[in-house]
Amino acid sequence: MKQVNSITGQDFREMFACATAWLEKSASDIDALNVFPVPDGDTGTNMLLTMRSSIEEAYRAPDNSASAVAQAFAKGALMGARGNSGVILSQIWRGLSKTMADKKLLTGPDLVDALEEAADMAYKGLSNPVEGTILTVIKDASLAARNQAVNGDTDLISIIEVAVNAANQSVANTPALLPVLKEAGVVDAGGQGLYTILEGALQYLRGQAEQMQFRKPQMIASSIPLVARPPQMIAADEVPFGYCTEFMLKGEGFKPDKIRNRLDKKGESLIVVGDDSTVRIHIHTLDPGNVIHYAASLGTMHQVSIRNMDEQHRDFLEMQKDKAPAVDIATVAVVAGDGLSEVFTSLGASAIVPGGQTMNPSTKDILQAVESVASDNVIILPNNKNVILAAQQIKDLTSKNIQIVPTQTIPQGVSALLSFDYEADLKINAKIMEQTISSVKSIEITRAVRSTELKGLKIKRKQAIGLLDGDLVVAGDNTTDVLHETLSKLDLDNMEIVTIYYGADTSRDEAEQVSSTIRQQYPQLQVEVVRGNQPHYEYIVSVE
Amino acid sequence: MTVKVVTDSLSDITSDMAEELGITIVPLTVFFGHEAFLDRVTITTDDFYRRLIHGDIWPTTTQPPPKDFADVYEKLAEETDEILVITLSSKLSGTYQSAIGAKGMIKKECRVEVIDSLTAAMGLGLVAIATAREAQKGSGLDDMVKFVHRATERSHFVAYFDTLKYLAKGGRIGKAQGLLGSMLSIKPMLTIKEGEMSPVTRLRSQAAGMDYLYNFVTGFPNIELLAVEHTTLPDEADKLVERLSKSYPGEIIYRSTVSPVLGTYAGPNAIAVTVLEAEGST
Repeated sequence: MKQVNSITGQDFREMFACATAWLEKSASDIDALNVFPVPDGDTGTNMLLTMRSSIEEAYRAPDNSASAVAQAFAKGALMGARGNSGVILSQIWRGLSKTMADKKLLTGPDLVDALEEAADMAYKGLSNPVEGTILTVIKDASLAARNQAVNGDTDLISIIEVAVNAANQSVANTPALLPVLKEAGVVDAGGQGLYTILEGALQYLRGQAEQMQFRKPQMIASSIPLVARPPQMIAADEVPFGYCTEFMLKGEGFKPDKIRNRLDKKGESLIVVGDDSTVRIHIHTLDPGNVIHYAASLGTMHQVSIRNMDEQHRDFLEMQKDKAPAVDIATVAVVAGDGLSEVFTSLGASAIVPGGQTMNPSTKDILQAVESVASDNVIILPNNKNVILAAQQIKDLTSKNIQIVPTQTIPQGVSALLSFDYEADLKINAKIMEQTISSVKSIEITRAVRSTELKGLKIKRKQAIGLLDGDLVVAGDNTTDVLHETLSKLDLDNMEIVTIYYGADTSRDEAEQVSSTIRQQYPQLQVEVVRGNQPHYEYIVSVE
Repeated sequence: MTVKVVTDSLSDITSDMAEELGITIVPLTVFFGHEAFLDRVTITTDDFYRRLIHGDIWPTTTQPPPKDFADVYEKLAEETDEILVITLSSKLSGTYQSAIGAKGMIKKECRVEVIDSLTAAMGLGLVAIATAREAQKGSGLDDMVKFVHRATERSHFVAYFDTLKYLAKGGRIGKAQGLLGSMLSIKPMLTIKEGEMSPVTRLRSQAAGMDYLYNFVTGFPNIELLAVEHTTLPDEADKLVERLSKSYPGEIIYRSTVSPVLGTYAGPNAIAVTVLEAEGST
């Protein structure tokens, strides 16, 4: 196994030159990751340009010690930093170079300290650090490196390796921390960029620089599912973003903290980094004049850039349109309960119309949903006997192509949605879905609204009743008994999967108890418990 | 001189098949940490899947360096002056680039054509097998290139996955991304479309998956070759072969195991079929 105990400044420069080349290959993919409402649609490019500036400066280092090259590297980053992510990146290099002062060689333990300082510096540059961004990624990477070192490892390769792996996981996890990423179903662009740089550095150390030219960095997939975006998110472009204002300030006696405090209220995404003679400022402001005026009173301004972010945003939306996956066929489902809504959304439903038993949605409600989806071909899943008719009216009210799959229960709706064939057209899909309706048995457990006698069953008001495919088959005082008895009407020996959706008035513990009883009786069954949070029905169970 | 056929290890062609048909296989590499293994050469599928399931190191993979292809070209050029290389999809790996890059590295006088199959596994394997058979008939390189392009159109691959975890982690999820994050446990059926992983549909059990694969095959009216392969489900794969051999002659059914490099992304408990339709049936 290859081991590297220390590297020179020359290696340091080559390592990051290699990382920069690696980043270049995915810069445009990273650009495409940017999410509304931060309209900097160029994170990848910005990080790349920042890195290039670092490398250029690194060649001007006075000698080849690790310390000199790292200082030059950090200086280059500060001078050439572009955009939000570029400025944060420059802060990371600054932290890195700070720990390396006076060091001829960079060792494993040095790197661990340097990563820690880099993470610390990155947080310090911002007045309002946000988790789920490049900040979290450098922090997680440095923590992992520290843990590796605590275990006595001093090999540079294995330290960077754990840092890269941690960065990978951290990037995948960014949508869990930042809702705007979750909504867009992407990971943080800056985090992805940093991961790519670290990965490039690792490959250099492993001696794989040659092979890299034939490969491309991997884009990390979000670890959490893409949730359907509510349609109202789209209409927000009237809000002005103002101007992305960036410049470098030169002079003497600067106090970056003081400048940061002073500019804090003047806009968003403020970053102020640097030292007493050079400070880089990045801010999104509605009034750049005000910021410039203040800055001019402190020193001389360089590399001033003021860009209209509304324009950037328009370009960005255009780019997204090209990148967005074309939804050929959209599915609209009528569902009650946030748990069940999530189930449908996670299986690819494009829109949910809230409703079901005792709260049937109107034709207008369904029509609105149909019009809101980004496809001209729409399948409607009514999931209730009493909604089918309202759904059928839609055909005459819209110019879109509509197919109604007459699902009468939630389990039927889920089965239909699951069977969606990505290769088939609208009509064939509707046919496939309709065919699956009969392959699933639906059980619903609810309460009788009045006393009655039906099919030889005496039912008291508020008693638990069990319906099998819509037919009342069992009544009783105990909900779980009624459920088990209803289940016993089915030939469970020849079934494979039981899915239990428990309602708003049912506890997870009770549902788990039901599930383990079924498992004991029928060990061959695969039983799944899902929070449906539906009203009125204590349980909805699908058996297939 | 007959055209020599070269493909990569992601064709899932076993060494026996390769020897019989005169196909040269260039292996990719799978890493467990710093340990490097040549796909199907220095690691067996059994050992690989044991480590994939029980080991604590997540494997990574890399394409063959151009030199590996160049060495193969050089050696084959002693026997022939025409070489046909068919690689797995360039959207899943840089192997195609390596095969192209190696063209400029050979010294002997020899024509090399490299074709991106835009597919993988037996989807690629059956194309390579049909091509090698065609080559034995003595067709020239230009005709063979056309043959391969038609054969890739005739090759239809579909796979049952137990989980998408491995595909997602390896960054090869492609258009199947939309199947991630389901609230219910689902079994995805995937294909390779335009060179990328792409969803077909979702099922809820392995039994349903086996039925789907069987029905997929029997949906084709005119089949030239068939393949059944698995990662860690030998018994299920055998059962499927048995079921299929009631309707199709045994000698057209190829049985293989998914190579370690591909298994890194497919994960355990996956099973796939490929149909090579007869020429002229579409």
